[in-house]
Amino acid sequence: MDQVEMPQPVKFILNWGRRYSLWVMNFGLACCAIELIATSTSKHDFIRLGVIPFAHGPRQADLLVVAGTLTDKMAPALKRVYDQIPDPKYVISFGSCSNCGGPYWDSYSVTKGVDQIVPVGVYVPGCPPRPEALLHGIIKLQEKIGQEDIREKWSGKLTQPQPSGAY
Amino acid sequence: MASSPSRSPLAPTEIFDRLRAQFGDDVVGTAEVHGHAVVTVRAERYPEMAAFLRDDPALDFDFFDFLTGVDYTPKGRGFEVVTHLYSTRRNHHVRLKVECDAEQPRCPSISALWDGANWFERETAELFGIEFEGHPHLVKLVLPEQFEGHPLRKDFALMTREAKPWPGGVEGADEEIAE
Repeated sequence: MDQVEMPQPVKFILNWGRRYSLWVMNFGLACCAIELIATSTSKHDFIRLGVIPFAHGPRQADLLVVAGTLTDKMAPALKRVYDQIPDPKYVISFGSCSNCGGPYWDSYSVTKGVDQIVPVGVYVPGCPPRPEALLHGIIKLQEKIGQEDIREKWSGKLTQPQPSGAY
Repeated sequence: MASSPSRSPLAPTEIFDRLRAQFGDDVVGTAEVHGHAVVTVRAERYPEMAAFLRDDPALDFDFFDFLTGVDYTPKGRGFEVVTHLYSTRRNHHVRLKVECDAEQPRCPSISALWDGANWFERETAELFGIEFEGHPHLVKLVLPEQFEGHPLRKDFALMTREAKPWPGGVEGADEEIAE
């Protein structure tokens, strides 16, 4: 499938199927996890966007939401969870800590951005962001998936993590 | 409900008197901070004093609260190990301070007296580089195994701070200027 250019209708249907059935893997690390869980519950309810809480393990998941402060000690575990998710897979970095280190920008132990470890599709800013912000992030991600070219996606160029010095 | 006299907290001065009677000049200094007794003790007799505080029926410090370190090297002193004890029966507090050398900080371990002190001493050892003599398993607790250095020491270089200095005010900086 990655050798040939797909007809536009097939591409559309595949992308449409993918964007509205995102099984989400909960990678809650700090207070942002509370907002992520709140987004999954009835008031904000991201099932109506097709995001299914929560995959029982990374092997069932499509979407990884990293919510919270990633430390250098935890980073190999995140990498491992990401590697266990089957392609196509997407990552949302939720909150300032996972975006860039946030208030721990000068810490000795905090990873300054999960994009050093895994490729990130959408960054949601905030400390912590409200559930509405995550809903907005999910919609942005779905727009990206809708525009996706599967040949490019499976060529490996987009899913290869950036080389990192630490791990 | 009236508390029985034997259960009432001891005033810090009473705690100091009892410790001085037992340990004499090994009590290096005393202070009263926020209503708590603060006792600086010579390192050699620190576990002995901790045991005395725990076992003496009048003092009765049955609860080990926390243990940590302080880096005073920028002020020309060494390190300090601070141990906070509390009596659940009498509702009084004491903090023990042990002064350590700046170059090779060492402090006796009290993990044999309270099991709870074990992890506190491991954490203080890795973050401040203070060696707790007699600790049964002094290896890293929270830092990654490959981590080098002692990050809570004042001379520990933070890479991001090297690139971009702290943008806000430093707590206590004004007081130092006033001194």
